[in-house]
Amino acid sequence: MLSETSEAIVLEQVGKRYLLNLYRPDSLKTALLHLPSVLNGRQRWPFWALDDISLTIRKGESVGIIGPNGSGKSTLLRIMSRIAPPTRGKVTVRGRVSALLELGSGFHPQISGRENAILNAVLLGLNLREARERMPEIIEFSELGDFIDQPMRTYSSGMYVRLGFAVAVHVRPEILLVDEVLAVGDAEFQSKCFAHIEKLRAENVTIVLVSHDLWSVARFCDRVVLLTQGRVAMDGAPQPVIHEYLSRIALLTSLPTPLPSGAPEI
Amino acid sequence: MEAIALRELRRTWELLLLLTFRELKLRYQDTILGFVWSLIKPLLLGAVLYLALRRIARFDIPDYQLFLLSALFPWTWFSASVMLATPSFAHNGNLIKKVRFPRFVLPFSVVANNMVHFLLSIPILLVFILAAGGRPSPLWLVGIPLLTLVQLALLMGIVLLVASFDVFFRDLEHLTEVFLNLWFYVTPILYPLEWTGRLKPLFLLNPMSPLIEAWRNLFIHNTLPGPELWVSIAFVAAAAALGVGAFRRLEGGFADAL
Repeated sequence: MLSETSEAIVLEQVGKRYLLNLYRPDSLKTALLHLPSVLNGRQRWPFWALDDISLTIRKGESVGIIGPNGSGKSTLLRIMSRIAPPTRGKVTVRGRVSALLELGSGFHPQISGRENAILNAVLLGLNLREARERMPEIIEFSELGDFIDQPMRTYSSGMYVRLGFAVAVHVRPEILLVDEVLAVGDAEFQSKCFAHIEKLRAENVTIVLVSHDLWSVARFCDRVVLLTQGRVAMDGAPQPVIHEYLSRIALLTSLPTPLPSGAPEI
Repeated sequence: MEAIALRELRRTWELLLLLTFRELKLRYQDTILGFVWSLIKPLLLGAVLYLALRRIARFDIPDYQLFLLSALFPWTWFSASVMLATPSFAHNGNLIKKVRFPRFVLPFSVVANNMVHFLLSIPILLVFILAAGGRPSPLWLVGIPLLTLVQLALLMGIVLLVASFDVFFRDLEHLTEVFLNLWFYVTPILYPLEWTGRLKPLFLLNPMSPLIEAWRNLFIHNTLPGPELWVSIAFVAAAAALGVGAFRRLEGGFADAL
């Protein structure tokens, strides 16, 4: 039913506005004291983290999102994963999404790696039976061995992220959204992660990868989108887009005077 | 489409179970007495209240210890759930910001966890009943599930409402604590509803009043709830409507507010 269409993610003129606080009513008292201004929003500063983004990502495509800090990459992933709604525009996502915005979300240090892995897998989209079935693969991939039944507070940070990654990639999504989490573990584990992403790609999983690591973006993506100040600056084959990004950085760093900051939207 | 919806429903249910079991496990981990703490707290409160009100203030109520405990156990379920579920969205910001999942499982698992503690306290109540010369009745098999269901539904509406607003107004955590303390005294826990006299209609505006009375009548007098329970059921509907309404409107802003 879902395979009839070849579009996995469609964003139409998506904008995301954050109201930055002059007075954020984070308690009843401040809200009451500033009630008139809170109601008409005058005391808040609208900031468009994303502005007029239109993107179509086809099934099986691997798309890299690059851009400087604060350009809206993570906001974009959050909107694609439907964790936060856009302020305007339309988002259509077809297929089971697994968003890897952080490894091991919800892991609890007091309980065992196994129990954490099962809960995490169900959080990420599996049902309980599937999660239990995949546990042997997850344990093997994580290389935790007997440690899997120890409470997670005994784990090293490397073990922690290895388990997080192992669960995330075994959820077998149709769409995988990854935010800068691939740089985990030692070199050997990293290459294993990359090999696994490569395998998912071969299985026609749609992948959206946010990364500052331009080398892995070039290696894994069929297409790269460059974001700057919440807008799509360039969208196309990896080489030219990465080249454009690098030449912009070169241009900026060679400027002798402080940068004129981009004109605010408002 | 239906298959997907069913799958999601099942996953949501399993998520709720997993979170509830985790909470049950974590609550008394590394304590020596473990689950017994869940019984000690209302029992100690009951003992002090018995001393103060029956021995000193000379409340004229037979089997006052039973009278108290049959209300204290369900009240503890209620107040602990509201208190602990209020910050359940706000304190799980990291999860809400990073993972897409049905968020309402967070407060519901707190309610379910406290429900399990309540159900496990019924055998203790039974000991007190037998000691006072009472007998359990087969009516319990109808009454306990019925009242559990009403209280569960009431709690689900309330915690959804309070936890949703708490994301934006953290004051609610303090407010619910104060409010629950006051609520305790205006609910017929220490005294029977009939003592309220002319104020009785006012007391029936409290959804917990008929519910506590019904628990007590079931455990002590082996009678099923009368028409007064409909008051509580009406509150269930109101709480559910408000809770679902607030959650739906506010949920979209959770990830941005936390």
